[in-house]
Amino acid sequence: MSFLQLLLNGVALGATYALVSLGFVFIVNATGAVNFAQGDLVMAGGYVAIALASLFPVPFLLLLPVVALITFVLGIVISLIAYFPLMRRPPATVFISTLLCGMILQNGFLVLFGPEARSGPALIGTGMLHFGGLELSRQAAGTIIVAAIIIVVQYVLFAKTQLGRRLRATAEDREMAEAIGIPAKILIGITFGLGTSLAGIAGALLANQYFVYPTGGVALSVLAYIAVVIGGWGSLAGAVLGSLLISVFQVVVSAYVSYAVATGCLYATLLLIFFLRPQGIFAERVQRRA
Amino acid sequence: MQPRSAERLWNWLSQGIRLPLFAATILLAVYGLFYANPYELRTLSLCGIYALMVIGFQFVFGHAGAVSLAQATFFGLGAYVTGILGASYGLGFFATFPLSCLVPTVVALCIGIPVLRLEDHYFALATMGIGLVVVLVAIQWQSVTGGTNGLPGVPPIEVLGFSAARRFPMFVIVWAFVALGGLIGFQIMRGLYGRAFHVMRESHSAAACMGINVSRLRFTAFLLSAVYAGAAGALMAHLSRVVSPENLELPVMVTCLTMTVIGGRTRIAGAILGASLVVYLREWFRILENFYLMAYGAAALAILMVAPYGLVGAAERLRERLLSSPPPQPPVPATLRFSETSVTNGEPLLVVADVAKAFGGLRALDGVSFTVAEGEIVGLIGPNGSGKTTLLNIISGLYQPDRGSIKFLGQEIAGDPAHRIARLGIARTFQHINLADDLSVLDNIAVARFANEGAGIWQSLAFPGPDPALRHARAVAMTAADMMGVAGVAMQASGKLPYGTRRRVEVARTLAAAPRLLLLDEPAAGLNEEEQRDFACRIRESASRGLTILIIEHNLVFLQELVGRMICLDRGRVIAEGVPAEVQQNKAVIEAYLGRDDGLEPERDGGTISNLQAAP
Repeated sequence: MSFLQLLLNGVALGATYALVSLGFVFIVNATGAVNFAQGDLVMAGGYVAIALASLFPVPFLLLLPVVALITFVLGIVISLIAYFPLMRRPPATVFISTLLCGMILQNGFLVLFGPEARSGPALIGTGMLHFGGLELSRQAAGTIIVAAIIIVVQYVLFAKTQLGRRLRATAEDREMAEAIGIPAKILIGITFGLGTSLAGIAGALLANQYFVYPTGGVALSVLAYIAVVIGGWGSLAGAVLGSLLISVFQVVVSAYVSYAVATGCLYATLLLIFFLRPQGIFAERVQRRA
Repeated sequence: MQPRSAERLWNWLSQGIRLPLFAATILLAVYGLFYANPYELRTLSLCGIYALMVIGFQFVFGHAGAVSLAQATFFGLGAYVTGILGASYGLGFFATFPLSCLVPTVVALCIGIPVLRLEDHYFALATMGIGLVVVLVAIQWQSVTGGTNGLPGVPPIEVLGFSAARRFPMFVIVWAFVALGGLIGFQIMRGLYGRAFHVMRESHSAAACMGINVSRLRFTAFLLSAVYAGAAGALMAHLSRVVSPENLELPVMVTCLTMTVIGGRTRIAGAILGASLVVYLREWFRILENFYLMAYGAAALAILMVAPYGLVGAAERLRERLLSSPPPQPPVPATLRFSETSVTNGEPLLVVADVAKAFGGLRALDGVSFTVAEGEIVGLIGPNGSGKTTLLNIISGLYQPDRGSIKFLGQEIAGDPAHRIARLGIARTFQHINLADDLSVLDNIAVARFANEGAGIWQSLAFPGPDPALRHARAVAMTAADMMGVAGVAMQASGKLPYGTRRRVEVARTLAAAPRLLLLDEPAAGLNEEEQRDFACRIRESASRGLTILIIEHNLVFLQELVGRMICLDRGRVIAEGVPAEVQQNKAVIEAYLGRDDGLEPERDGGTISNLQAAP
């Protein structure tokens, strides 16, 4: 396989990673909390897609908004269980509660869908597209397009709309936002919903080419986390960039060496970044006030 | 037994939750020794193994307050070392067990250095990443580890030709290790060393400024967690007679975390209770089959919400509320000796020269120079944002200066770590009160004597019974508390005290270490006038005992009577220096506070400004 082809495959995978990481950053920015269930919510999206596709025999593209809606509600439920009751506790507490939520989700998948890996519905049919010596599956092409649209939409939402401004204000300083009459709690709930529905859509897109299985989310949580660390903690553009870097790295190294080596190298890189630049590769150094 | 010692024993037993604890221990022993069938013995052994792992986890998660997700990795490594050496190389327990403890510790040693500096979730994810790498290795390196299927045929423990292949001896061995591990854990954390962990997890900077080496404490806790997990893993391999990647994977970690959250983060009893409850939950809810992880998760979430200190913590608090025992007697004060001899030979005690610090584009300090002579009380004033607190943070070592030199006792300290500077004799308070709310006032103050008393892990292990370092530190702390007028509340939890009292506790804490230089950051803020007068009196008294004091304050009335000299900062530079009256009338100072020619007649107090906090 040519290097360009690998690059293209990497980008196709990275498009979904980007959605996962974006959702992760949304929640980090709004609450300062690390949502460790993010990867499991990706799996949730995959399972919802499989269930919906078996119920409604229509092109899956039409069902994608339904996946987004269902996972949005799931995100709000997670925030009600794992975040709001514990929001005044030390940050580690919320981290643990989301970890526990992830575990509950994993167990739920196991009970409902069984331990075996399943594959989800195709977005817009199967087959390959050819152009200029490169080939791309319809699924991958659709994934890139859908992810790109969503990334643009979320950018417009945050940058241009009143809701987006309020969400950003809440993320910046919750108490201040509350003081000027923004219903911060509702917006934090919405942020959880949005972050989760991004994970859900990513899961629905991934489910076709990569499998979903109950414990498949853990690695994705870690990948999203690494992407955000690489991109600079809290940066939306950085999260997208970090995700693309990771996926290209994974695809290329897997092709030339092996998947295990690729994963090992990725974690080693993470540790190296932690050691050399704890503030991320692209972030400016910020010192915390004592 | 003498009636006196019987009474003492009863008094000791009736404290806290010791009585139910002993009852439970005896029940467990009786049940295990006489009633349990082999299957139940295996379950009990499993409880013990998890309890050992959780006791280890409490060091890093509970005491050091760092969410490590490497505990399952250490556990699995311990299991694999025993499994591989036992099954493939036929080595015995006396060779495999120490190695099972050693290998995870060496791994912790290697990863601890880059990873332990990280805060909160960074640390959690870094430790988790390491765990995932180890799982990958265990699966891929089939020739040694047996890959996904694992390695069967781990031999039972053999001690002096006696094989513990059956359930009963295994049960005894496991719980003997739990007892030993629990005792060692209790011994390490029972005294001044354990209190230092408490203060550190509330605030790293406060601990560092009290002379506590935060990184070393965290590192030690991390290594201890690895030793315990390795031991537990080795026992697990002997119990199940097979090792597989399952021993390393996330469910083990989550189980460990759940047990700790449910039982309690810092109590040995919590570790045992948490481990036993979770293991038995799985037994009892066998009907749930696959749902057990869900039940764990739900139970742990519920405990997280209603009982943040775990079940043992909740029991302790409930007992406190229901059976109000008489408050413990404060100790008899011991002498607190300040170094009254001059050591500077006429040289200034502190020499700050050309210190600069920028945050991004903001120049917080821009070439600050001044000196403080021994025995002086110097006021540091300046409008908000003029760099006063930044300066204090640099002197005490919390920030690194971009350039410049700071000499204390003739020694260059600029850029040194905070705990080293504190140990040289510089103590400080914080603008925001930085006390450990759950600790008593006395213990908050006593921890400041961490370095003076030579507290440390070996010191903790050296003496059986109550920690002599803690006893002496508390006695000295009583004197410091008395100096600041908080001796009357010494035995109360500091979190429940009024603001003004807590401020004085903070100052008492700095005194307890017998420093040479005291840095006070707005100590009078929020005090009423009477409290301020009393406070000033006490500070003057401390100074008369040989202390040198540098004090940040906005309230000039308070400062005027207290200090001999004032230094005024504005926009990161020294703009005036001299006796209070002079500085207050200095044109540059007035302009710095009130602005120049802005059409507003500044409210003055006989030609000087009196309370700078009121200024814009």
